[in-house]
Amino acid sequence: MENSTEFLEEIAGKEYEHGFITDIEMDILPPGLNEETIHFISKKKNEPEWLLEWRLKAFRAFQKMELPAWQNFKMPEMDFQAISYYAAPRQKAKYESLDQVDPELLETFKKLGIPLSEQKTLAGVAVDAVFDSVSVATTYKEELKKLGIIFCSFGEAVQEHPELVKKYLGTVVPHSDNIFAALNAAVFSDGSFVYIPPGVRSPMELSTYFRINAANTGQFERTLIIADRDAYVSYLEGCTAPMRDENQLHAAVVEIVALDNAEVKYSTVQNWYPGDKEGKGGVYNFVTKRGVCKGANSHISWTQVETGSAITWKYPSVILQGDNSYGEFYSVAVAKGKQIADTGTKMYHLGANTRSRIISKGISAGNGQNSYRGLVQIGAKAENARNFTQCDSMLIGDRCGAHTFPYIESKNNTATLEHEATTSKIGEDQIFYLNARGIDTEKAVELIVNGFAKEVLNKLPMEFAVEAQKLLAISLEGSVG
Amino acid sequence: MIMINQLETPLYESIAAKFEIASLQSSSEALQALRREAFNIFKTLGFPSIRNEEWKYTNILPFLKEDYELDVIPQELTPEEFGKTAALVAHHLEELQQSLKGEQKGAYRLVTVNGKINAELSVLPAPELLRILPFAQAEQEPAFLANFGKIATLKDNALVALNTALYNDGLYIEAPKGSVLDKPLHLVNVLLAGGPVFVQPRHLVVIQPNASVEIIETTISDDAGHALFVNGVTEIAVGENAHFHHYDIQTGRKGMRFVQRVEATQQKHSNYSNYTFTLPGTDLVRNNLVLHLNAPELESHLYGLYLSADRQLVDNHTEVHHKYPHGESNQLYKGVLLDQSKAVFNGKIYVYQDAQKTNAFQQSNNILFSEKASVNAKPQLEIFADDVKCSHGTTIGQINKDALFYLQTRGIGEQRARNMMVNAFAFDVTEKVKIPALRTYLEKLIAAKMDNA
Repeated sequence: MENSTEFLEEIAGKEYEHGFITDIEMDILPPGLNEETIHFISKKKNEPEWLLEWRLKAFRAFQKMELPAWQNFKMPEMDFQAISYYAAPRQKAKYESLDQVDPELLETFKKLGIPLSEQKTLAGVAVDAVFDSVSVATTYKEELKKLGIIFCSFGEAVQEHPELVKKYLGTVVPHSDNIFAALNAAVFSDGSFVYIPPGVRSPMELSTYFRINAANTGQFERTLIIADRDAYVSYLEGCTAPMRDENQLHAAVVEIVALDNAEVKYSTVQNWYPGDKEGKGGVYNFVTKRGVCKGANSHISWTQVETGSAITWKYPSVILQGDNSYGEFYSVAVAKGKQIADTGTKMYHLGANTRSRIISKGISAGNGQNSYRGLVQIGAKAENARNFTQCDSMLIGDRCGAHTFPYIESKNNTATLEHEATTSKIGEDQIFYLNARGIDTEKAVELIVNGFAKEVLNKLPMEFAVEAQKLLAISLEGSVG
Repeated sequence: MIMINQLETPLYESIAAKFEIASLQSSSEALQALRREAFNIFKTLGFPSIRNEEWKYTNILPFLKEDYELDVIPQELTPEEFGKTAALVAHHLEELQQSLKGEQKGAYRLVTVNGKINAELSVLPAPELLRILPFAQAEQEPAFLANFGKIATLKDNALVALNTALYNDGLYIEAPKGSVLDKPLHLVNVLLAGGPVFVQPRHLVVIQPNASVEIIETTISDDAGHALFVNGVTEIAVGENAHFHHYDIQTGRKGMRFVQRVEATQQKHSNYSNYTFTLPGTDLVRNNLVLHLNAPELESHLYGLYLSADRQLVDNHTEVHHKYPHGESNQLYKGVLLDQSKAVFNGKIYVYQDAQKTNAFQQSNNILFSEKASVNAKPQLEIFADDVKCSHGTTIGQINKDALFYLQTRGIGEQRARNMMVNAFAFDVTEKVKIPALRTYLEKLIAAKMDNA
């Protein structure tokens, strides 16, 4: 593959394309974390007393917790006092249409290749764009409103639907779940809120684009999705972040509740700044995502494509509480350069006839380290539970690593569990075959990787699948030699 | 003495006292230093609790709450004890060796009583074929000096440290260069005790280049019903082009708790194969099997079969370290769980950066027979080289009801049909046993247990 080396090195040297800083005035809280910070955030967001109390409870839990030590990477130094916990664009007017939005902001999105206005007409996607911490534009809201669907920023939901927020907030990821979830619960600035009323199928894919701006601002998003009886929703999340020298912490929390017969699909494409070639800078993506299939026959599906971040550390999980409920997890994680991905899922089978399916594809290149860590737990009452797990790893280059740490715990003898994992190198024969058919090495690798990840990419909604495929190709170019 | 561990057991005090005695035993300064180092490690670590990731599913603390006697220095057997031992061994052999004799040439026999070789009950091979010495006589052997205490990992390993600090004597087995043992060696460990005891057996097996050995290990004890905690360490060095087939048959009785670490190093073109069979009886079995593939172009096979019953806990931990290119390792563990038993399988494959062209496979299958049985599995891969083929698979399920029904429609009773299926399930492992008579014996044991299930 001599000929390809040069080309690949050239691409490997490519700097992060989405790195730029938007110059908008910010309302920034000085770095530091104490109870006053939380009072400030809560007041700024005009929150009711109970929410403030909840935040404080979480903060106290957070203070008692220590950073975990079981992860398969070296924990970076973490100074929670050096982070500023609030940043919001100064202009806070509500917009009826996109035309009224700060043009510079729109320009930012355009640079990222997210034509908000185009998507509105072409793709039929309602976009709730979170620029740093406060929602700026929410489109298609009116249309969704007609169906009774609530899709708004978290702050807005607290103001307008406090009863729903109060009922479900923290029920899936408790305030003291883990140190990062506790931190999030204490200081979360905004996020998205979705409620689908009984019997309603969301007619479009709901989507948010997160973007970290403002130096030194850890982003603490909180997303809460509730699908009532017989409801259906597909939710998309996609991310890019500008280039920074200092590491940025992203500790989001996503909670999903699916009641009887409800179905929620949650798809993520994550492409945050992974740091430069030496691994300097880059985002720490420490996210807690969990859904609960509360009702019978409910269904939650996580799909993720993780190509960015210096460290990705998350385990989107499903608690299969209702009988006959179904949990799915599809993941493609790419670790190149000095990136680390420690990701996987947890499936807790509690109800009878619960099923889960886990497909994880890890791709390691350069000095990247990719770990799959998963838990499949069958409770004593989960009669006839069924799990299928497959985690495959592909290694590109001899300095990368692929690791699997599956935990399988069965307390019920009617359960059937299967786990399989393979690790292999990208096939030289396959590349050679494709070369022989006149396809150059770069294209060949792209084809092979896409084929490897196809099972997961297929699960993404159409527009996302295209984007993810492109992302995968770009991420891996330059890693083969 | 400071013990970090919160465990409340009278054991800690007796361990300290025992160490004082044990430390005087080793002749050389180096061995004494090793004991001291090991004891310090144990002091800082204490017994592992379930908060230790390696012991997450296996809580040994409840098994330590007896008033164990640590100080069972092997001495000459009284005629009464000898009679008892001889009867035990004879009974054991009737079961096992009879079949060995029948179909094959039979086997050599090495009987140890509380770790001490008993020549009268043994039938030993000639020293040109296999040298067998107690540690006390082996301490100046070059291969002993080169390997003892250097294979088993002390770091973060409280039980190995405890064994290293407290072992009384041990077995040194060396296969001389180029020797081929014509019959398998049957190693019978007899444990006799007047009360609850906690013992630290230790073996060092050195297979010199081009040698080939088969060893069958079994452990028996009297039916006194005392609690018996065995914390064993076996170090194995397999030389270039040497072959070692290591069979470990773990039967036992209630009250027996069995924790062991078998750690082996392998050289070029060598083959180490381990066959571990765990059957109902003991309260607890924890096998730590660790292989260091210290050269290129070699193979290792780990086969395990566990049939657990009652409240038994069977835990198999394996670690295979592929350090050089062209290594091949293969792990197959199968389990059948009855009653309220629990099984744990934790397999790890490490492929180091230089170990290109490695093939490493791992498979674990489990059948749960009862509602109260449970399985925890953690098959892990850590791979740092790219040109490798590695895979692992785990399944947990139950007996196929359709197949059972099919057999019943053919006039085969449920019990028999189930036994046939368990037999077939176990076949993947039992067929690997190279000694036909041993295989028959194992199949019989399984069938007998399944009949009573």
